[in-house]
Amino acid sequence: MSTQSSGLRLFWAEFRDNKVALFALVVVILMIFLALFASLISPQNPYDLANLSLMDSRRPPGFVGSGGYTHVLGTDPQGRDLLSAIFYGLRISIQIGLAAGFVSLTIGTALGIAAAYLGGRVEALIMRLVDLQLSFPAILLALVIVALLGQGKVQLIGALVAAQYAYFARTAYGAAKAERGKDYIEAALATPLSGRLVVWRHLLPNCAPPLIVVATVQIANSISLEATLSFLGLGLPVTEPSLGMLISNGFPYMMSGRYWISVYPGVALIILIVAINIVGDQVRDQFNPRLRK
Amino acid sequence: MSTPVLEVRGLNTHFFTRQGEVPAVRNVSFSLQAGEVLGLVGESGSGKSVTGLSLLGLVDAPGQIVSGSVKLNGKELIGLPEPELRERRGREISMIFQDPIATLNPMLSIGDQMRMALFAHEKRSMQDANTRCIDLLRKVGITDPEAGLKAYPHEYSGGMRQRVAIAIALLHNPSVIIADEPTTALDVSIQAQILTEMRDLVRETETALIWISHDLAVVASLAARIAVMYRGEIIETGPTFDILRNPGHVYTANLLAALPANTEPGQLLAHGGTLRSAINGPETVQPPDKGDFLSLNNVNRVFSPNISLGERIAELVGAGVRRRSTHAVNDVTLRVARGETLGLVGESGSGKSTLGKLMAGILPPTSGQIFLDDAPVMQAGKKSTLRIQTIFQDPFASLNPRMKVGHAVSEGALAHNLVKPFEVSDYVKRWFERVGLEPEWADRYPHQFSGGQRQRVAIARALAMQPDVLICDEPVASLDVSIQAQIINLFLELQKGLSLTMVFISHDLSVVRHLSDRVAVMYLGKIVELGPAEKIYKAPVHDYTQRLLNAVPVLDLS
Repeated sequence: MSTQSSGLRLFWAEFRDNKVALFALVVVILMIFLALFASLISPQNPYDLANLSLMDSRRPPGFVGSGGYTHVLGTDPQGRDLLSAIFYGLRISIQIGLAAGFVSLTIGTALGIAAAYLGGRVEALIMRLVDLQLSFPAILLALVIVALLGQGKVQLIGALVAAQYAYFARTAYGAAKAERGKDYIEAALATPLSGRLVVWRHLLPNCAPPLIVVATVQIANSISLEATLSFLGLGLPVTEPSLGMLISNGFPYMMSGRYWISVYPGVALIILIVAINIVGDQVRDQFNPRLRK
Repeated sequence: MSTPVLEVRGLNTHFFTRQGEVPAVRNVSFSLQAGEVLGLVGESGSGKSVTGLSLLGLVDAPGQIVSGSVKLNGKELIGLPEPELRERRGREISMIFQDPIATLNPMLSIGDQMRMALFAHEKRSMQDANTRCIDLLRKVGITDPEAGLKAYPHEYSGGMRQRVAIAIALLHNPSVIIADEPTTALDVSIQAQILTEMRDLVRETETALIWISHDLAVVASLAARIAVMYRGEIIETGPTFDILRNPGHVYTANLLAALPANTEPGQLLAHGGTLRSAINGPETVQPPDKGDFLSLNNVNRVFSPNISLGERIAELVGAGVRRRSTHAVNDVTLRVARGETLGLVGESGSGKSTLGKLMAGILPPTSGQIFLDDAPVMQAGKKSTLRIQTIFQDPFASLNPRMKVGHAVSEGALAHNLVKPFEVSDYVKRWFERVGLEPEWADRYPHQFSGGQRQRVAIARALAMQPDVLICDEPVASLDVSIQAQIINLFLELQKGLSLTMVFISHDLSVVRHLSDRVAVMYLGKIVELGPAEKIYKAPVHDYTQRLLNAVPVLDLS
């Protein structure tokens, strides 16, 4: 137990050395907190239509509305307080990003490892399917699936998973294929241990590092893909706007000087995605022994 | 005495790592005359290679030369800016690396690479350059050097590629060549040829040579002077003969005593390290009782390359390429008696490892049967017995890096109900002690162990399955000599204590001779000679066995 935790401690010590990555991690954690406690810290519940007043719509930052409090970032065309809408939007974005990320991680890893371990026809079938899918742009695939399945959180997550599991399958396959040829797998098979034990105890743990890296990047990708779909009007219902839909809502007013409706949710989205990517990059560098000090 | 071509004084190279500053080369001083060969020996990690790289100014970050002086033909190299160093590299001082496969660029023909190296320092006409290259290729023993210029590295074997690397190092007639384990990756017979050629080349060209190796016997056959490195320091230096006869330092004596060829067969080897289950004084191990046990009947194994979809289409349209399948094991019939140790020797590619995998039930034979007592080793493509266990060559690869070693040792026994869950820690403890590991290390991960300790873990893992037969595939080949000696001693002790039947696969004849009752010599997939170990060594019958024996460099102290 002590060795495991000292390994983690070393990992953390190395992570801490990169101040930019450390800052990005703080930003990610902060945003997760904002999303978790959105209902407590927001001045308004933007999803409760009874709270909204059209009198307050499209007001600039700093406007004191009918609710009696200051709209720090202004309001949107429906009269929502933008700050509150961003907090709630973050919640949806992160929720969907994590859910889609983990489901595609599970499905993709299972397929990739099965292909590498079983070999032969199973391998050919799975990997050709994955290759085929990787040749389509993810956004196109997601658009088609959302169009087919309709709107809603589950449908949206389903579309994101279908568009992204292939990346995990590729990564898991590559890692598992390399590990499969190593002596320790041969040793486990020569003992002989059952295939189930070999996969769970030997193959899977050794394929974990690249998968963790891909997972961080793909969570960020899920978030931006969800925002793109929402921006195009294919995401969640208008009554529960995510960051993408907030941007889309403000878009018609961009040219009439009411920049804040699109810009502030956009900034929040960019900060979130960039921060996750910086953390992911640092984790990747630390797993790559060639870049090790 | 004339002035030395290379003079090294007080060289210190340190590595600046997260764990702190690690001195890899400590206060190293030596000098070299023209045409002299200096052997630099020591275990891995003793700083030999870093010394070589420091001389060329090729130490990579986080390594750095901290202090010292390197004078080449009277000019100081330390502190020279990179362009001036580059100007000297290859022209005045050049290097031959260990791995000839990694050294040559696979995308360029050998002629391209040689000319490139030549034009880097000299202006010559194309024709002139070709003549020079052909001349050198001939000198290093490449037959048909004109064709060699057009060949690509993959068309050449490892030995041939290393010859090309040597030719490139010689292009500009450098005053000093540093050769870093250039024959370690090669077979014994090819190593012997290259050693002879290097000896002639050095004499002919008056080049000073630093030969870095962990193998004392190789160094002794080439170098007039030896420097022994230990933990970054040169602990002993002097004429080869004196050092071998009267090693002044304990470590050198240990290196010598650890060579299996210097000890009578069956005797425990001397080794430098201390060991929990250290054995006091040499003992002789008696071969136990006989009786047929593991039997192989007309076993064959053919590897045919996988047919890709593209090739299949090519075949359909009539453009099929003829594929070569390899007959790795060719009609082998063999009996191993209960309690016997059979040595299996041969060059790489002779099929000995494949035969080992067939016996271990890792690979199914293409045809023929393998029985343990009367039961087949494999049934329906799966290994059907627990009584045969395997020990692999590389303990760094054969242990799961993410599994605690105690878990690795108990896993198989638990899966097959050889031990009850509540007895596991005692069980692991027992086997750890048996192979000379501290029982409290069971909670550690493989990377926290040295190579020798890892191999002990691998042995414990195999033994914990309570096997009757142990297949050992080059179990000491990747270890340092003194560690090698400890592991061989462990095998000797286990042989006696557990009455194990062992098949010991190795390319190192002296190791096999030391451990085996009988020896089988493999060549091109067949067993060409089989007999009692002593008989094969004293009176080899087959041509190939004789060649193999003659190729081994042996320390001759007389």
